Amino acid sequence: MKPSASRIILWVYGLYLLLPLYWLLSMALRNNADIVGEFSVFPAAPTLANFQEIFANPVWYEAFLNSLTYVTLNTLISLSVAIPAAYVFSRYRFLGDKQLFFWLLTNRMAPPAVFLLPFFQLYSAIGLFDTPLAVALAHCLFTVPLSVWILEGFFSAVPTELDEMARIDGHSFPYFFFRIFLPINRGAIGVTLFFCFMFSWVELLLARTLTGAETKPIAVVMTRTVSASGLDWGVLAAAGVLTVLPGVLVVWFVRKDLVKGFALGRVS
Amino acid sequence: MLEVEQVCLRPGEDDNAEAVFAHTFAPGEISVVLGANQSGKTDLCRLIAGLNTRARGNVCLDGQSLTGASTRQQAVGMVYQAFVNYPNLTVAENIASPLRARRLSAAQIDERVTDLATRLGIVTLLDRFPHELSGGQQQRLAIARAMAKQARVLLLDEPLVNLDFKLREALEIELRELLHAAGTVVIYTSSDPRDAFSLGDQVLLLDAGHKIQAGAPLEVYTQPASFRAMELLAEPGVNYLQQHGVLCAVRPEHVRVQQIENDAQPLQFNMRVTAYETNGDESFIHGRVEEHDWVVRSSGMMPVAAGDALTLYASAGDVVRF
Repeated sequence: MKPSASRIILWVYGLYLLLPLYWLLSMALRNNADIVGEFSVFPAAPTLANFQEIFANPVWYEAFLNSLTYVTLNTLISLSVAIPAAYVFSRYRFLGDKQLFFWLLTNRMAPPAVFLLPFFQLYSAIGLFDTPLAVALAHCLFTVPLSVWILEGFFSAVPTELDEMARIDGHSFPYFFFRIFLPINRGAIGVTLFFCFMFSWVELLLARTLTGAETKPIAVVMTRTVSASGLDWGVLAAAGVLTVLPGVLVVWFVRKDLVKGFALGRVS
Repeated sequence: MLEVEQVCLRPGEDDNAEAVFAHTFAPGEISVVLGANQSGKTDLCRLIAGLNTRARGNVCLDGQSLTGASTRQQAVGMVYQAFVNYPNLTVAENIASPLRARRLSAAQIDERVTDLATRLGIVTLLDRFPHELSGGQQQRLAIARAMAKQARVLLLDEPLVNLDFKLREALEIELRELLHAAGTVVIYTSSDPRDAFSLGDQVLLLDAGHKIQAGAPLEVYTQPASFRAMELLAEPGVNYLQQHGVLCAVRPEHVRVQQIENDAQPLQFNMRVTAYETNGDESFIHGRVEEHDWVVRSSGMMPVAAGDALTLYASAGDVVRF
């Protein structure tokens, strides 16, 4: 079979997208001498020393744990707040519901930098500064509206007759909500989880400002290593690889619902 | 016996005395609520089921007043027009759902589920999920679940309207047997007059939120109380014209193109044919009689074409005057 032009273009584009990722991985598997030495596509002597360094050095692995802690906290808070909110927006009409819903979206329009100073001052004053909760709560300002917005689309696609039927069948509301409604929307919740996770995982500005020595996130450690003992290219690249991995994992689990998620559930 | 009183299907916009009505649905009978779209059929069902609706009224079951949404919901089983089943539960679990809520033992549930699934012809599908079923099977499932509850009132809101017509006919015949066997109050809404005759022991005609007539289907057919009542039970419509200030109406099936035997003095009408349609078994001749659109329904095919002039005959007894 002769490959068609569109197929070739697709392959070239795919390679182009994967090239930086490959280069990151390739760097992570070399030592510094190899990296700054002669150009070669494949590592001459692949080594796992960079990864060993990260898992042995508390500065590195604690930074990963710090990031994972506030990301997990943020995701949990966002979902537990956004699921009930989205259900109410999709099922009830109340005074100002549409305005409130739109106002939620406008929160997403403000750049995180705007909130930097108020968050910093407030958290310092009430002793939240330099805790995982500080970053998680700050990120909620962005992930909660996004989650409500995505979930509402999915929830509205579930006919209200289903709610009524469960009541007629004699089920209590908690039974309906947790045993029927949430399982039906498993995909939606997975997609929302992905968006929360990714936002919080890659966000640098708030995470850096609201943390001190105790809870330094991985992105911060990565930028600071530059000035430490020269420039450790290999370890930095290995850290980069490990930073990409959680995102890849989450994408893998929600890949089927992701397209619908990007359309905010408004795809039938 | 289910009694509804002081029912107003359009409160706020239509509050006058004729808009408020009462009706009694007897157990062991199928009551067909017949009305066009937006006539308030669904509102009536939702009122009885205690669901969110603009309709207002009192509902009494066997002499006991059902106030509050939850007491009404205990008393009813409901089948919606759209195929509504729990998508994350299998067919068996769907049917078992109302039984689970009543905390029956597993053996009892199993027995009821198998019994109902057998009666509705879905017993081979028990392990499938609703999205793996055809439309007809999904609605059979919904009916099975509504019946599993053994509610004293069974509400079916246009259950077959989304099915293709061959499936409808097959299900309708089964439903008649099944619903009678249930021995409960059965309320079946429809916009198709054929349902009233094929299913209904009683028929209640609704028009724009008003109850316009009720009774046995044939009785309502032969003695319509109003032109609108006659129209609701006629397929495809009613032919009418004004004669000396009186509205004369005659059904399409009672108009003939030939002289009627044994009828010395039939009424005669002159029609200009505008269209002719046939499916081989039945023919419809559309035309105009004195500024009114008329339809003639007759069996077999006719040698008629648009533009023809026809003389129509109708027995005096078939013409209803209002």
